[in-house]
Amino acid sequence: MNHLIGYHTTQFGELWDKSLFDLVEETISGVLKQTKLTNKQIDAVFFGNMLAGVLENNLHSTSKIAEILKVNIPIFRAEAACASGGAAFNLAKTYLEANSNKNVLVVGAEKMTDYSPEQTITALSAAASGEEQEAGLTFPGLYALMANFYLEKYHYTEENLAYVSVKNHFHGSLNSKAHFRRQITVKDVLSSPYVAFPLKVLDSSPISDGASAVILTNNRDLIKKQKNSVTVLASEVVTDTISLKERKQIDEILATKNVADIAFKNAKITRHDIDVAEVHDCFSIAEILAMEDLGFWKKGTGGQKIKEMSTMYGNGGSLIVNTSGGLKAAGHPVGATGIKQIGEIFLQLTGQAEKRQVRNAKYGLSHNVGGSGGTAVVTILAV
Amino acid sequence: MNKKGKIVVWTKIYTPGSDFKKYAPYPVVLVELENKEKIYGQLVDYEDSDLKTGKKVVSVLRKVRSSSEEGVIAYGVKFKPL
Repeated sequence: MNHLIGYHTTQFGELWDKSLFDLVEETISGVLKQTKLTNKQIDAVFFGNMLAGVLENNLHSTSKIAEILKVNIPIFRAEAACASGGAAFNLAKTYLEANSNKNVLVVGAEKMTDYSPEQTITALSAAASGEEQEAGLTFPGLYALMANFYLEKYHYTEENLAYVSVKNHFHGSLNSKAHFRRQITVKDVLSSPYVAFPLKVLDSSPISDGASAVILTNNRDLIKKQKNSVTVLASEVVTDTISLKERKQIDEILATKNVADIAFKNAKITRHDIDVAEVHDCFSIAEILAMEDLGFWKKGTGGQKIKEMSTMYGNGGSLIVNTSGGLKAAGHPVGATGIKQIGEIFLQLTGQAEKRQVRNAKYGLSHNVGGSGGTAVVTILAV
Repeated sequence: MNKKGKIVVWTKIYTPGSDFKKYAPYPVVLVELENKEKIYGQLVDYEDSDLKTGKKVVSVLRKVRSSSEEGVIAYGVKFKPL
């Protein structure tokens, strides 16, 4: 069985004094220190990053990591848009299944705030289909189509969406690494300007810098020596059409539904067992659809369920969602996000989540989406 | 061109990418044509009341971007309300 034995993340935010590889170096050094491993004990590295090739003409990052780590081992980069981190983790798990007694480092990182919003938005649009780009559809635009369709179909309003952001900003206020530490109200969300109707600034995750790392191992002696260790029960990836319009349902991410079914089957647990989840809330609508498509809420009820706020820390619910602050408040450095989500579950399951610690959390799930649903990754961890 | 269809879903983009900056805000619609084919496009010559599901539209040839990388004006499909 594969075990996760350590997690480190840099601060998420506008980190103008740090380059992409400053952040990568910081988080690698952090996770090695925490697990008391040396660079020579790492057998392979998987790196999740989307935009370095597009924004800063910076490819062959694998060799740059070899230089930082001073090693000559296999290093691979995974790219699946905003699911790059989750995809890197999945590849690391697969690598361990094929190789015994190995330690694998998984790093996710993104540097996004050194460019104008238009440049970053254009770069992110590379994860959409050519036709979508040509119509002037941005990333928020695609999720806005899903949101508008969903609100109209189930007779909800923009207010229903706003509760996602209120909850996740509250969680962000409890996470010292989060991009935003400020609590917000439903009124704040509703009065923020539109990005793509019906989504507003406060429905949207920010453009952030940051890097996160975990160490996965199947070395039993090492697992015994580690203070904190969780078991990887499942990590699965499913893909779907890149174009939203090619899917049967506009208000459903089929890849999420399918990957969740596979992951729960492989983990041999049920939805009711999950105590904490990090779901992909790049926009408020995305968390509502994720909760439905992952099978936690019945289709069409999410708009009402989120208003009950049972998934907020401190409200006594049986499943707490996005304790890190989610993409919305913790920030969304796209390559790092999937690793940070898994790392947050690690912190919760090992009792290290400080002010936002969910009591007796035994099982956790993370859900990472690329594009408008062209890739979905689900990871299930247990302690 | 001149293909008729109806709006399946719509949005209005307020923060666009570099190529579309000067056109913002602009509506983008997903249209189902009479032959059931689905096409994205911007809606032009519209009133806000035209932005609704089921609204009948027709495809037109319009300028998409004024400066493309190839140095030519890019034309493409847009829709206008019927």
